[in-house]
Amino acid sequence: MIIGYQRASDGVLAMPCFVEREEDVDKLIWDVYCVYNLSNYLKDFPGKKIGIIAKPCDVKSIVVLLQENQLRRENVYIIGVECAGVIDEKRLRLGAKDIQESATFGAKCKSCKSSTPSICDRLFEDKEKKGKISEDKDEYESVRKLEAKSALERLKFWEEEFSRCIRCYACRQVCPMCYCPKCVADQTMPAWFSKGANLKGNLSWNLIRAIHLGGRCIDCGECERACPVGIPLGELNKKIEKDIKELFKYEAGANVEQKPLLASFDKDDPGDWIK
Amino acid sequence: MIQKIVTKEELYKLLDSFLQDFEAIGPKELANRGIFYEIIKNAQDLYLGDDFTTEPVKKLFLSPSEWLFKCQYKDSKNSLEEIVLTKTKRIIIGVRPCEARGLELLDKVYNSEYKDESYVNNRNRTVIIGLSCANPDRNCFCTSMGGSNVESRGTDAILFATEGSPERSRGDKDGKFILEIITDKGKEILGSIGRELSEEEKKHWQQDKEKRKDLVKTKIKVPEDLDKIFEDPYWEQVSKSCLSCGICTYLCPTCHCFDLVDEERKRLRCYDGCAFVDFTLQASGENPRPTKKERYRQRVFHKFDYFKKKFGENLCVGCGRCIRYCPVKIDISEIVDKASI
Repeated sequence: MIIGYQRASDGVLAMPCFVEREEDVDKLIWDVYCVYNLSNYLKDFPGKKIGIIAKPCDVKSIVVLLQENQLRRENVYIIGVECAGVIDEKRLRLGAKDIQESATFGAKCKSCKSSTPSICDRLFEDKEKKGKISEDKDEYESVRKLEAKSALERLKFWEEEFSRCIRCYACRQVCPMCYCPKCVADQTMPAWFSKGANLKGNLSWNLIRAIHLGGRCIDCGECERACPVGIPLGELNKKIEKDIKELFKYEAGANVEQKPLLASFDKDDPGDWIK
Repeated sequence: MIQKIVTKEELYKLLDSFLQDFEAIGPKELANRGIFYEIIKNAQDLYLGDDFTTEPVKKLFLSPSEWLFKCQYKDSKNSLEEIVLTKTKRIIIGVRPCEARGLELLDKVYNSEYKDESYVNNRNRTVIIGLSCANPDRNCFCTSMGGSNVESRGTDAILFATEGSPERSRGDKDGKFILEIITDKGKEILGSIGRELSEEEKKHWQQDKEKRKDLVKTKIKVPEDLDKIFEDPYWEQVSKSCLSCGICTYLCPTCHCFDLVDEERKRLRCYDGCAFVDFTLQASGENPRPTKKERYRQRVFHKFDYFKKKFGENLCVGCGRCIRYCPVKIDISEIVDKASI
């Protein structure tokens, strides 16, 4: 089976496509609307050999899955595509007045460093798209802005954002890295935090989600894109990514040979916080 | 029914005068976040454009999570304390015809044979002022679900932007609305403003209203009897990309399944949805709907089969939220339409 993209019912956007028969190959498409990180579907077919169409960022999450032994390299055939950025689907949904206007790239694309997947079995080159698309913008600009605020201001900011959370768990379901057989949010004996869509429970859920992705999130942006109430989850992920880069010089999804951050330690790791 | 023409200024002035005695709730735009029903402090904050609120008005009647009762253990005695329901009167403005119809469908479950105290209380304390859709988007399919973008069912009064603007988000551009007052409650609230339409204008408006229904472009065929294809491999095919999240059910104006949880000696009722893996998980470990196929089929069958058999109508109003917000663009209108072949 090959997992790729096909045109959605609206004739504009894309949706995932599962090709199992030769005649279905014609359905496959590739363009700026192919926003989804399809590697999330790999967990649906354990032990099966799967071909997957992957952008450079999506490949990073495949790398993490390989590092974490969730996937055997021989079971995934990576069809890499060169990519110069995909649309900001969230902005489009929020009422950008026409498709063209919204065809600006998402935040992850603006700070993307490579248009070519780091590993793949087959590469579809795109001469036009070749080359860096990064605007050389400080990818942590908005994180720095938040960091500059006082702790109280930050709390207020996040409380306002999380108060809208409806606990639909789309952020979790859309995340390739969220593969726990039983998520902490679904446990009932004991229940670790409130199941209700109240501030207390929402704060716990969103922070646990972000922290559990520390050193694993590759910033594919799917959680923020999926969030129906517009919580800027990417900011949280980016903050943790930045801290980890600064503290441990570690970048998630960069090298398949490297041990996962949380599974390794170095005697030179910062330890000032251990008292 | 009274038909009037009102200006935006008149309407906003009247609303502002209510803000002291009533709670007024309406759509408000939060930059880069979406449009949400919020308590309105100033009528100018209202968003009466074309785009829909992310969450349907359902959440103001059937709360995403609410406490049902509290328990106490004091002096070796157990006691049970009811949660006091608020009686504050409120006006909700900007409710779409499809959402208002959704409430009428919820009434069949929560306000008929069984009366849910909290839901009925919320219904009774609310005046609903609708807002007709001047620019339905491509995910809307209300006219195929027995409703329409100009229908007043379920509202106390309803507003129509006088000119459907070709530009999205500017439905109220010329600042005038046709106001139709449906119930006595609506008359009490809005009866004083605007001028009534003349006979000539009424005739013209009736024709215009009919024409506006054609703005809903997506038309689907709703199957008479899905039962026949219950075991069809079709359900596996269409549900393959489903992520098992709760967006479609939580944002649906008619989905109403809930979970009961005990927390901090209180009982909590919160939304639950058939797309979740754990929704039907039993204490024994058995799960009758173990895969996406069973779960997605359940959603379609509840809406287009079971509910119709029990209550006479489909449990879908065609608002398109589940399509618009689905992270992988699963389109229930297309799936149901194709199921009838």
